[in-house]
Amino acid sequence: MSALSKLHRGTSLFAWLLILPAALYMCLIVAWPLLETVRLSFTNSALGVEDYVGAENYAKLAGSGRFHDIVLRTFYWMALSVCLKIVLGLAGASLLNSRLKGGGIYRVLVMPPWVVPIAIGCIGWLWLYQGHFGLIAGVLQRVGILDGPFEFLAYRDSAFYCAVITDVWIGTPFVTIYFLAVIQAVPRELHEAAYLDGASRWYRFRRVTIPYIMPSIAAMSLLSVIWTFNSFEIIWILTEGGPRGGTTTLIIDTYKRAIANFKFGQGAARATIIVLLLTAFSLLYLWAMAKINRRYAH
Amino acid sequence: MATLALRGVSKSFGATRVLSEVGLEIADKEFVVFVGPSGCGKTTLLRIIAGLEDASSGRLEIDGKDVSDAHPLERGVAMVFQSYALYPHLDVFENIAFPLRVAKLPEAEVKEKVEKAADILQLRDRLDFKPRQLSGGQRQRVAIGRAIVRQPQVFLFDEPLSNLDAALRGEMRVELSKLHQRLDATMVYVTHDQVEAMTMADRIVVLSEGVVQQYGSPLQLYHHPANRFVAGFIGHPTMNFLPAAAAAGCGAEQAAVEAAGLGQLKLPVDAAGVPAGEKMELGVRPDDFELADGAGDGTLALRIDVLEKLGSVSLAYGTGAGAKLCAALPGDAGLKEGTEARLRLPPAACHLFRADGTACRRLQAPAAA
Repeated sequence: MSALSKLHRGTSLFAWLLILPAALYMCLIVAWPLLETVRLSFTNSALGVEDYVGAENYAKLAGSGRFHDIVLRTFYWMALSVCLKIVLGLAGASLLNSRLKGGGIYRVLVMPPWVVPIAIGCIGWLWLYQGHFGLIAGVLQRVGILDGPFEFLAYRDSAFYCAVITDVWIGTPFVTIYFLAVIQAVPRELHEAAYLDGASRWYRFRRVTIPYIMPSIAAMSLLSVIWTFNSFEIIWILTEGGPRGGTTTLIIDTYKRAIANFKFGQGAARATIIVLLLTAFSLLYLWAMAKINRRYAH
Repeated sequence: MATLALRGVSKSFGATRVLSEVGLEIADKEFVVFVGPSGCGKTTLLRIIAGLEDASSGRLEIDGKDVSDAHPLERGVAMVFQSYALYPHLDVFENIAFPLRVAKLPEAEVKEKVEKAADILQLRDRLDFKPRQLSGGQRQRVAIGRAIVRQPQVFLFDEPLSNLDAALRGEMRVELSKLHQRLDATMVYVTHDQVEAMTMADRIVVLSEGVVQQYGSPLQLYHHPANRFVAGFIGHPTMNFLPAAAAAGCGAEQAAVEAAGLGQLKLPVDAAGVPAGEKMELGVRPDDFELADGAGDGTLALRIDVLEKLGSVSLAYGTGAGAKLCAALPGDAGLKEGTEARLRLPPAACHLFRADGTACRRLQAPAAA
């Protein structure tokens, strides 16, 4: 064996040695739980029992109309919330980017929903949605839109949209600040050149700013999709998935099944489906990102 | 047809005054270059003409019409930016077409105009390319194309060649001069490079600290600089300055000066009103030194520290007559570093600057074209 290949072998051994702690750690906290979840999903694991049942858990889910509703609701929840966050974030960032007097103050004022712990923010919204002494019902009664107390979280539809509003309220500040940074990186000359050509503010926003930051919008959308898909605490604190399952998303359903009802096997099947859905979504997204990057790269 | 006039234009950013009472008239179809060191206000002046900045005071007229408050579009100006300002997501065709899209012209007309501009700029085979796939020179041409399709009355260029390498810069200078002839439009061009200014301009505006130092043709600035700043800024290598003092006998026909290491000189300049004893500066361009046979008044000894051999001429850098000097001497004169050369200053080639920096008018210099 030549001295050079010995040296190479020594180097790669040393490299593996350096990676080893991180690799072990990843195996312990990611790979093992994931594999264990997949294994559990093929059992009827519950308190005290655990037998192999094959694909029974999946077969049940495939035939359950209730589960189909939950999947659809999860996608609707995700699409609505992400779209609102992106649109509001873009609008907010554009406003913050315009040269207003005291612009710094507005930038600080955007932050509280994001800075306040989620649980505290949600409890604040619980009070607002309260039917008898909540602010929203009170104001709507004063202006004559409601003719009596209205419990926003007591009806399936209104509870769902209330949860969306709260999720958007909590998620938008981060998106706004991110888009503000991105918008500020658009070279000023591009706007000036378009301005000299007679382009209006709106035209410049559509034809200069948006295309320029498109890769960032795509990246933020993917992150937001994953966060929203897996958003648990907001719904749990507001409604615990109710009323009558009206705000139950996949993640809530999984939690209820596995942790609240101790049906670990059924919960694991749901969790595995979430992993598969998110993986499919991410792959789709990576493909779209590559296309967007090719088209809009600087 | 477009004449352009700036009347008493001043600009301040907060407490900082960047332009003071600038007054200029630019004739129709003229190529005018604003030149000056960094921070002299030349780009700000251009941006005021474009409508990207408002003047703090003063007026801007195009074709005799006050357009100080008009939108850039109404001014009929188009600008080419230093960074080119191309839209990265649009191909060359759409970049050039951008102003026409804003104006909502019909597709056929857009196509015709863009293709015509692309032909002028030799971009026909690049129309489908994205800016990032183009070379620096091609990007520059796309930026110019975007200006051309608007058929503006006035073209504004903000240091358009500064991002190009030296060889390409020389090429683009010629291209731009040709373009000026072809388009027959008024052009205002900002640069800090006096070579660009000298080679392209019909007239040059030299700015320093927000004040117009001189406005004239390249040769006028070269042969008759208004003051020491212009004399030092225009010309390459830069002019040499030697300390001198006025002697008795200064008048409208000639100046008598005394300089250490040079003796008494009589120069053909208008020195009316210069009192004997005034501290002055003698200006000599490196090309104007001549090799002398022997010592005498009007000659100096140059100790050569560095010799740059360029072929037909050699640039000799060193000290002489109490100043750092540069002299352009014949390449075949057999000069060596570390030796002394005896140089003569032809009186007719000398410039003379008064204590406040203003130049004494030269009487025997070539007439400026």
